[in-house]
Amino acid sequence: MYQFNFQPVFENLDLLLYGALLTVRLSLAAMVLGLAVSVMGAVGKTSGIRPLRWLIDVYVEVIRNTPFLVQIFFIFFGLPAIGISMSPNTAALVALVINVGAYGTEIIRAGIESIPRGQIEAGRALGLTPVQIFRYVVVKPALRNIYPSLTSQFIYLMLTSSVVSVISANDLASAGADLNARTFASFEIYLVLTVMYFLLALGFSTLFATIRRVFFTYPASR
Amino acid sequence: MKLTRRLFTTLAASALAAGLALPATAADLAAIEKAGTIKIGMLVDFPPFGIQDASGNPDGYDADVAKALARYLGVAPQIVPVTGPNRIPYLLSGQVDVLVASLGITEERARKVDFSKPYAGISIAVYGDSGLEVSDASGLAGQSIAVARASTQDSGVTAIAPDGTDIRRFDDDATAVQALMSGQVKLIGVSNVVMSQIGKATGDRFNKKFDLSSQVQGIAVAPGSDALLEKVNAFVDQATTDGTLDKIHEKWLGEPLPDFVKQAQ
Repeated sequence: MYQFNFQPVFENLDLLLYGALLTVRLSLAAMVLGLAVSVMGAVGKTSGIRPLRWLIDVYVEVIRNTPFLVQIFFIFFGLPAIGISMSPNTAALVALVINVGAYGTEIIRAGIESIPRGQIEAGRALGLTPVQIFRYVVVKPALRNIYPSLTSQFIYLMLTSSVVSVISANDLASAGADLNARTFASFEIYLVLTVMYFLLALGFSTLFATIRRVFFTYPASR
Repeated sequence: MKLTRRLFTTLAASALAAGLALPATAADLAAIEKAGTIKIGMLVDFPPFGIQDASGNPDGYDADVAKALARYLGVAPQIVPVTGPNRIPYLLSGQVDVLVASLGITEERARKVDFSKPYAGISIAVYGDSGLEVSDASGLAGQSIAVARASTQDSGVTAIAPDGTDIRRFDDDATAVQALMSGQVKLIGVSNVVMSQIGKATGDRFNKKFDLSSQVQGIAVAPGSDALLEKVNAFVDQATTDGTLDKIHEKWLGEPLPDFVKQAQ
């Protein structure tokens, strides 16, 4: 019978918590920057400028049809050949932003296209400036429409970030692997890791629900 | 009756597999010389020490040493492919006369077989950019060094690294090597075997900084084969002094026989 021994895990909890902190920071930064990339991508894609649309199409298709592992290897090991060298944590962030940006572009594009033309015309009729129309009449309602799929993509991003340990970034999965290599308490370590990732995902869900309550529950027809 | 025979076969087979239950069969030098061939066991799945060439014949560092040994004894080599787990049973059951099978000399194995003086070695060392001045552990401070996670080199580097060393752990040697080659790290902890492969691709871009640990390998004979062992030792001595081992090491690992092997002799 296997003797469970959580001693090594609790003795090195600071290591795991530090890894979790990096996972949170990495994920939050990738979400914010990824959202910016997604909005720009979606706007570009729904604009009338053809070369721009093609460019974004290529970006979205390449990223969505290649494995994340290959993307992150390319950024970390491939780019130095042309003089672009990043630290593991920076490379991880860049890879995550590029990756989530491609998925986010498609999600937000769908949101923008769900806005009826009449709504934009109504904005014009009210005398709103183009920037105001874009902010309040297009993007905000669009984000509200696709909010659930966007946030689940963000949760998925946080879970995907566990892959960055392959380029020696110091995230939670990497801290777990290091600890496992030293203590061989695989069951205990990965059980605790599972719980920690679950709690992190739960935390992000709560955060997203709060954001939704604050920003996206203005009166609207149901 | 049938059952008993099957039981006997099973017992014999497991005894063979364990290689312990059988009494060791000592190799007789006179018999080898009379037969004109020596049966040499070697690995064929351990590059660059034991491999198979394009036509399926055993090749590699061990094969070259085995052929040189046979030439020294004045007999023809008959190379028998063995595997890691069965190489000692092969020797003890007399199916091979000697093992030139990258057998690391350990106390535990020395209780079962007789080892010659070391003829090869695997070392783990810190390598890095040739321009970088690092000669001992203290030089690691402020540097980034790649290792394969949970490997011997990982524990070696972790044990000696001073504060401020940026140890980057990758999943395997191949990824750690990638990190070195792409310039993501300046140093790497890796074995001389892997490093010789890198050397082939990069020339003198990287060099050795200092050793972490090493293990030497010996030619093994069954206990009691004293006359043969004496000859094998004489061969290792001669091959070391006349440069034969240097040449073979140069051919397969890109540098002459390392000093730590010579010192262990």
